[in-house]
Amino acid sequence: MKTYDLIVIGGGPAGMAAAISARENGCEDVLILERGSSLGGILNQCIHNGFGLLTFHEELTGPEYAARYAEKICALNIDYQLNTTVIRIDREKKVTAINADKGLQILQSKTIILAMGCRERPRGALNIPGSRPAGIFSAGTAQRIINIDGYMPGHNVVILGSGDIGLIMARRMTLEGAKVKVVAELMPYSSGLKRNIVQCLDDFGIPLKFRTSVVKIHGDKRLTGVTLARMDDRNKPIPDTEEFYECDTLLLSVGLIPENEISDEAGIPLDPSTCGPVVNNDFETEAEGIFACGNVLHVHDLVDFVSQEAASAGKNAACYIRRNGLSNKERTVRLFGSDGVRYTVPQILNPDRKDEDLTVRFRVGEVYQNAFISVFFNDQCILRRKKPIVTPGEMELIKLRKEQINQFPDLKSITIKIEKG
Amino acid sequence: MYDAIIIGSGISGASLAYELAAYKLRIAVIEKGSDICSGTSRGNSATVHSGHDAAYGTQKALYNVMGNAMFDQLCSDLKVPFIRNGTILFAINEADMEEVRRLKHNADKNHVPGVEVLDRDGLLRIEHYFGPDVIGGLYAPTGGIVCPYTLVIALCEQALRNHVDFFLNNKVMCIQKNATGFFVTTNKTVFQTRFLFNCAGTHADEINNMVSSNKITILPRKGEHILLDKKLAPYVRATISQTPVNLPSGGHTKGMGIMPSVDKTIILGCDAHDVTDKDDTATTAIGLDEITSYFEKNWRHLPISEKIPKFPHNRIINAFGGLRPHSTTDDFIIGESEDVAGFFNMAGIESPGLTAAPAIAKKIVQDAAEKYHFEKTDVFIPTRDHVKPFRDMNDEERRQAVMENKEYGDIVCRCEMVTKAEIKAAIHSPLGATNVNAVKMRTRAGMGRCQGGFCSPVVAKILAEELSIDLTEVTQSGEGSNIFFPKNGNQAKRNSQ
Repeated sequence: MKTYDLIVIGGGPAGMAAAISARENGCEDVLILERGSSLGGILNQCIHNGFGLLTFHEELTGPEYAARYAEKICALNIDYQLNTTVIRIDREKKVTAINADKGLQILQSKTIILAMGCRERPRGALNIPGSRPAGIFSAGTAQRIINIDGYMPGHNVVILGSGDIGLIMARRMTLEGAKVKVVAELMPYSSGLKRNIVQCLDDFGIPLKFRTSVVKIHGDKRLTGVTLARMDDRNKPIPDTEEFYECDTLLLSVGLIPENEISDEAGIPLDPSTCGPVVNNDFETEAEGIFACGNVLHVHDLVDFVSQEAASAGKNAACYIRRNGLSNKERTVRLFGSDGVRYTVPQILNPDRKDEDLTVRFRVGEVYQNAFISVFFNDQCILRRKKPIVTPGEMELIKLRKEQINQFPDLKSITIKIEKG
Repeated sequence: MYDAIIIGSGISGASLAYELAAYKLRIAVIEKGSDICSGTSRGNSATVHSGHDAAYGTQKALYNVMGNAMFDQLCSDLKVPFIRNGTILFAINEADMEEVRRLKHNADKNHVPGVEVLDRDGLLRIEHYFGPDVIGGLYAPTGGIVCPYTLVIALCEQALRNHVDFFLNNKVMCIQKNATGFFVTTNKTVFQTRFLFNCAGTHADEINNMVSSNKITILPRKGEHILLDKKLAPYVRATISQTPVNLPSGGHTKGMGIMPSVDKTIILGCDAHDVTDKDDTATTAIGLDEITSYFEKNWRHLPISEKIPKFPHNRIINAFGGLRPHSTTDDFIIGESEDVAGFFNMAGIESPGLTAAPAIAKKIVQDAAEKYHFEKTDVFIPTRDHVKPFRDMNDEERRQAVMENKEYGDIVCRCEMVTKAEIKAAIHSPLGATNVNAVKMRTRAGMGRCQGGFCSPVVAKILAEELSIDLTEVTQSGEGSNIFFPKNGNQAKRNSQ
């Protein structure tokens, strides 16, 4: 049986960037397995602009951003299979995949990069009472219906949740002639990017109501309306605040969940906070030679960060092969988020592995103004940086220089905290 | 002119159609919904009850135990997954144990096989763990689980293969009796029949009262359920509930239970609330809250709590409501009407109705056959041909499947692993799916953790292609539930063509 150097699961932005970087760092046999009918993943339906400012220093649409990588995949002669679903992977780096032309294939690889992306939280997960009519879509599904299929999911719209896709869809549906009546957000802040609130809601006069949620769904065959109510601190509706909104469409933008079913089934440990695999500073999961990057690892706001992270994972997979699988995990430092920091990626640092700076990405659990991001090596504060605002909607990152780390031979833990100003 | 018309295609109508098909009769099933099984049989606990708690002496008790015994053969004939996972009622105090002993006595009178009163150690021999407060309980090994709509679809498909006609979207408006039989007028047409079978679920009283002067009343009693992700399947085996003493809902339910489904998701429920609208299966804030707060509080007793210590809110994938057709007589209303010859009721089939229905149908048909001299046909085929779902195949079977039909390699629903081949088969099956929910009910496409987020537009496209209709005509659940509308630009283009 042929043995690939690297099999990348998923041909979205993460998978493409990882494959390119692996090839550029010396991986010969690279194969991307993608279940969609083209490379690019969800970017293909993100026809708005705003992608690539960091990577290409210009504003691209999603498909344009994807095309730049797809062209490179072709130029580098990287092999890929479309319409192909991975059914199973194992720790021996065996990948079982299926498609219509080749049927069921069992492929052997030296390394695997997980780049499956994420899915949207559905209505069912919110436990909203009421009937089950047509007209309730997750925001990404509605985006696909409009931008790929070329249809409208409805005309009078209420959006629950102010995640980025919901905000983008508020504008998109408005531009297509629909009336977006309101965006309701359970939390007292938005989980979307500030720029999206301004450009997608404020510019179109669409109201955003915080601490508000859908408490009932109406309609038998097709949605006829929703009841919104203000919510108290325990997320229970406040009596007498109910308001009925007539609408035929409810879009849900209430969170994204990394799609780790095959990682989980392979016994790869997941972090309950990110719902992605636990990784070290190489983006290597606790299963040797299996790496993870992009939204399957943790949900990102900007595709540019996905590409950066994936490029690093691809390079590390190439290094893994070069050193023949041997990895130096003698020293293990745990990274923790506490005092408002929900998680860190990576969760583990193997400082002897390589001599480079460490980028730690993390998210906070609520909005903090004029607070400090503090980094502790063991119990010692080594960095304290003031930030005018940190919000759950924007991923933070902090760089720790290798010299700093090397100064601490007894380093056991790195903790990132929010300290109020 | 039909010999027999069955009104309703839930478990009652489907069971009757299957039984009647064994006779030389012209038979039709008429259904008001856009698909078979669109009422009570679609949303319930999916439990095959042992019969330990149905009050001795009632029809419910009699047919529950008879029906339960039929499930192995029936489900094997129809290739419907059925598991005898056993039922456990656990007790946390002496009052509960008192109830356990009462139920054991009741079970014995009902001739339920194998029911045992167990102490804590006894329970722990069956399930490896229970919370420390659990002191004992009742074990009914014949309790089982089945997918109710898969069973109904299988019964209907097999009835159809045995030449029973089906008419969907036909709501009965009035019924007239004459010397030779009945005229059944629906919103679409008029049917004539010699014998009429009332299996109209929550509307069975309306049908009965059009024909008979012995009036009946069916009250819709809502039960709500919460579904949890199948990731929890390894931790839930038996159907487990607390002894139903001092439960909310005034004892109208068999108790708040946790049970696996044959499809490995976990079902929690259910409560019971009388409602007024006979088609209102909406979930309610009160109901969902009742279930979640019950399980938050009592999770620690359950075997699953050993591995998953707290009620896992983040594993909820959906909730659904269903209606029990509760008769005010508090028992099944079954058999030929006393005042109208040739009119048969199968009404008030609430819990344990799913379990009892096959036995009731058999009895009704036997009695009718005897009285009216129905003649058995020798061409009746009881066993259904059914292709194994892709998700249940092993690698070799999958390899083979794709070799024979490429579309088995095209996975449409990634959460439940449903292939394009299976979706097309569901559309072209004998009682073919014509909308997204009908595909879902037949294949599970869209029932997984993403709840159709990725696959429902694709399923809709396949429906449009296979039914040769425009995507804007594809519905979620029949007329009026359209999913897609033309974009303004498209509309103009279409009009100008």
